[in-house]
Amino acid sequence: MKPLAMRPALVRGLGIAAVVSLALTIWLGLWVTPPDEVQGNIVRLLYLHPPVAWVALYLAFGIAALSSLLYLWKRTRSLFWDRLAAASVEIGVVFNALTLVTGSIWGRPTWGVWWTWTARLTSTALLLVLFLGYLALRRVPADPEVRARRCAVAALVAFVDVPIVHFSVQWWQTLHQGASILTPTHSFKVHGSMLWTMLLGFVAMTLLYVWMLIVRYQIEVLKDRVGDEELEISLAERRAEGDAPPPAAGGGAPVEPAGSVR
Amino acid sequence: MSYVDAGYSICLTVLFLYGVSLILRRRRLLRATNVAGRDATVPPPGTARASRPGIDAGDDQ
Amino acid sequence: MWRDALLVCGKDLRIEARSRVALWQVLPFALLVLLLFAFALGPGPSALKAAAPGLFWLAVLFSTVLATQRSFAIESGEGTRDGLRLSGIDPAGIFLGKAAAIALQLVVLQVVLWAGVTLFFGVRVHVVWLAVVASLLATVGLAAAGVIYGALSAGLRVRETLLPLLVLPILAPVLLAGSRAWEAAINGSVATGAPWLRVLGPFAAVYVVVGMVLYGPLQEAG
Repeated sequence: MKPLAMRPALVRGLGIAAVVSLALTIWLGLWVTPPDEVQGNIVRLLYLHPPVAWVALYLAFGIAALSSLLYLWKRTRSLFWDRLAAASVEIGVVFNALTLVTGSIWGRPTWGVWWTWTARLTSTALLLVLFLGYLALRRVPADPEVRARRCAVAALVAFVDVPIVHFSVQWWQTLHQGASILTPTHSFKVHGSMLWTMLLGFVAMTLLYVWMLIVRYQIEVLKDRVGDEELEISLAERRAEGDAPPPAAGGGAPVEPAGSVR
Repeated sequence: MSYVDAGYSICLTVLFLYGVSLILRRRRLLRATNVAGRDATVPPPGTARASRPGIDAGDDQ
Repeated sequence: MWRDALLVCGKDLRIEARSRVALWQVLPFALLVLLLFAFALGPGPSALKAAAPGLFWLAVLFSTVLATQRSFAIESGEGTRDGLRLSGIDPAGIFLGKAAAIALQLVVLQVVLWAGVTLFFGVRVHVVWLAVVASLLATVGLAAAGVIYGALSAGLRVRETLLPLLVLPILAPVLLAGSRAWEAAINGSVATGAPWLRVLGPFAAVYVVVGMVLYGPLQEAG
């Protein structure tokens, strides 16, 4: 990834490919493909929703977990993995929120409710909160290696928690079958142009994710570099002050106490 | 507005805004490192590598 | 005094704008609480629907404790509190300023929680004005009481565990009245809900006055 990120032409090409494939997906999804026999036009949301969910849950958070693992493992420890994980988590959170929103919008006309506490939806919502926590943790100022270790652990714990939540909620639901719960089924027939459009949607979102990952990784590197350089500057200034003669009287006056402002 | 329209517009708008925000953040940070590089008494290592402000990798819709 | 209040309020809000702790920690916490309630009460929608008003206010109360702790944590640095005390700013102004900053954050929080409750628990508020007025009055009371107890526990090392213990019982009337008011707002019966405003209003007024009067001595004690 490192040399890739430094070749701007390639990154730009990737971005353009993402935009083009997404635009194509939208065109096919909204105008070219026919409405479904059962779901009508609502099925068009399924050209976006599963691809977005795939990126969020498996691609973004999966790569974040993998990167975190690689950071923690002594043999491959490098801030590269930490920064990659951070970048991937932020993108994952955005896509995760979109997954919930698009899913909810699809669910309303399909099942009649905006939300239901099924295993899949519940664990998706929990995943969002877990990784929001990761982002909050990352914002706490700390030494880069310390922060990296903390966040890596947080990412792994979050990732491991989700299957547990999923299975427990699922079990809970099956025990609860007596009560009137919606058990939404995702069964519908995808054929012909609909199938190709959905596959294109997956490709488009994956390309978009990769482009975003590269840019966000670059941002992470730059952030640390700016921090280091600002530190260098303040150190250099401090050293220069030490060499220069002391300033004229009044230069270093302490802050005056604020008078009472009525 | 139909559900499909709402879904598509929200999804695409969010992705677009996020993508643009990434590009803008990168641009701002690149400028900051360039400025910092010039101001420092000792030029920091590796500034030359990332100083290509025209990294416009395009964005979506 | 009002200018002092504005000064302090502005300072607290600016710190929040820069550190974004409320945005990244308190807000996700509130949503998390809603999520946990769902885990606690069952996948079936009926229990959640019935409990929704109470759960909303529980989430608000817990978030108030967090927001208050944060409000005093930003001044826990060496000598910051002394600096504030010696600066000559009217203590009543400090109280009002801090309470206003917390109140504003709570308002934003409640808007998001309202959306969350509507979406996740499947309830709809039918008498919007009742819910809004109840929320505004409750928010003033929560913020005022929070700041008083925050100042009380500010210097203490056990403040994280002490503050909830001290302030939550005080806030119980707000929980009660707020839940009933929102319940009525959801069910559409103004008659059962409006009387509870008569609890929320005086609560807010009393604690604002108490805070303005007692904040000076409270600061000295801390």
